[in-house]
Amino acid sequence: MAKEKVVYKPKKKKIQLFDVVNYIVFIILGLLIMVPIWKVLVDSLNQVGVYQFRLWPEQFTVDGYRVIIETEALYRPFVNSVVTTILGALLGLVLSTLGGYVLAQKTLPGRDLMAYFLLFTMIFSGGMIPEYLVMKNLGLVNSMWILVVKHGINVYNLVLMKNFFENIPESLYEAARIDGCTPAGIFIKIVLPLSKAALASIGLMFAVAVWNDYTNVKIYITDPTQVNFQYKLRNMIMDGDTPTTAYSVSQTTLFNAGIVAAVLPFMALYPFLQKYFVQGVNIGAVKE
Amino acid sequence: MSKKVVMTSTGVPVREKPLGLRIWNNRGYYLMFLPVFIFVLLINYWPMLGVRYAFYDYKPVGEPVFVGLKHFQKLFETDAFWNSFTNTLELSIMRLILTNVASIVVSVFLNEMGNLVAKKTLQTLIYLPHFMSWAVVASIFSLLLSPSATGMVNGWLKDLGVIPADQMGIYFLADSKVWRPIFYLINIWKETGWGTIIFLATLSGINPELYEAADIDGATRLQKIRFVTMPALANTIITVLVLNLAKVLNMFEPVFVLYNNAVYDVADVISTYIYRQTFAIALPNYGYSTAVGLFRSLVGGALVILCNWLSKKVRGRGIV
Repeated sequence: MAKEKVVYKPKKKKIQLFDVVNYIVFIILGLLIMVPIWKVLVDSLNQVGVYQFRLWPEQFTVDGYRVIIETEALYRPFVNSVVTTILGALLGLVLSTLGGYVLAQKTLPGRDLMAYFLLFTMIFSGGMIPEYLVMKNLGLVNSMWILVVKHGINVYNLVLMKNFFENIPESLYEAARIDGCTPAGIFIKIVLPLSKAALASIGLMFAVAVWNDYTNVKIYITDPTQVNFQYKLRNMIMDGDTPTTAYSVSQTTLFNAGIVAAVLPFMALYPFLQKYFVQGVNIGAVKE
Repeated sequence: MSKKVVMTSTGVPVREKPLGLRIWNNRGYYLMFLPVFIFVLLINYWPMLGVRYAFYDYKPVGEPVFVGLKHFQKLFETDAFWNSFTNTLELSIMRLILTNVASIVVSVFLNEMGNLVAKKTLQTLIYLPHFMSWAVVASIFSLLLSPSATGMVNGWLKDLGVIPADQMGIYFLADSKVWRPIFYLINIWKETGWGTIIFLATLSGINPELYEAADIDGATRLQKIRFVTMPALANTIITVLVLNLAKVLNMFEPVFVLYNNAVYDVADVISTYIYRQTFAIALPNYGYSTAVGLFRSLVGGALVILCNWLSKKVRGRGIV
């Protein structure tokens, strides 16, 4: 009697309707995100302004970008943005790592008091006018350094750093202490080198916040030599504050070139640093 | 001084040193905290003293004059303030719900995507708008939605015959009837992708055995989403809502860059109202705008405390 052979047949992976619909929906979603971005990019390189969506500029030109590079009213805000972003991110990193490191010391007397001192600022704030008056007293009104100072201290990011430092094994601290390391020595020689990824993430969060700031410029700065690029861009496009230029470039071309310039630094870095950008969210929210 | 016995990490119990000595031994840490202390004192605490102006008449010229609760009385009687208050709640809460629903839907279906390359590419793409500033996003959409000849949306509407070709286009951002839907759409465009990160992180942690068990029970893809994926997300959804609820009164920049005087009735929020009362009217009374700010701070602070409490209930730890 022939034995019946039992063959396990794996279920054939057939393309389900579900997958087809899923892919179609995501192609549409991708297009919805891409169309506005692509339109800006193409229009910034097109001589004439048109409403149509084009995949490629009809009359290619880089005059829009030339205007930005050569017009002081435009390149100066851009330089201000670069400078304040770098300094703001550095100050932000220094203060949040220092504070985070100290608060991560579980046996430090007064640690809770220091934590409450910081956390209270998340519950209550002086508000727009009292803050303005203080900034005025500090001599920061009408100066781009206000962006560095305002973003330099961020309690939320400080707590993220603290959470990260708390995950460093206690034994490492202990060993360093036995070797006679001072708190500052441990911080520089052990904690910071172990935290490169967190430093990159938090540093990027600070940098994006400073670079993208519009509100503080609008509130505190009226001097056109001190404004940042975001402010200048929005004023140019939505409030008609367009500088005169020697080039015969259409307004639409210039506006779109401005938008590209305003997003360029982070868009250029983004593909390489996506990991760090995303990580910042996860350090904060997913830690359970 | 109490002589508590403490355990060190080596497991050897030792007598705790007196407090003064412990503080002295830790002086390095306090020194390192000093810059943070000074910054927070100057930037965050010093302005808190200024809230006293909420009880003063304080104008650009002249000394502040104490007026008690006058400004609060005015505040509660001013329609423009209540308009901004209800707008704040409506705009922030609707925005919170809409962007999160969009994020949840996108993450659930992104999670179903078998092709990893397609999935990664899409993720990269949908995170992008988050890094654009509100000033940039407002600029992009004001160009796209412009009623002029170069506005893409109006151009398309004319091509489709929705608007007669010889007519002006719709001025979307200056029309009270469409401003809010446009505002929500722009928010969804900007933040949906970024919002998926936290949900995708939760989804990647679901035990695959749950799906296998559902397979054996003969569940369809949609049933698996309904009975395995969604319950797993429930906690994260509540967490995200609670964390964001604490911030609903803070809404400023998204509205500030997109609104204009034609849409105050549907767009004005508390912070933009304060801004105008301070910087954009002929004879500002800083006392009044400080009072509005103080009101917002107090209600906002209460919300933070409430959400912190809720957060502890729901997930065992506070907001931060």
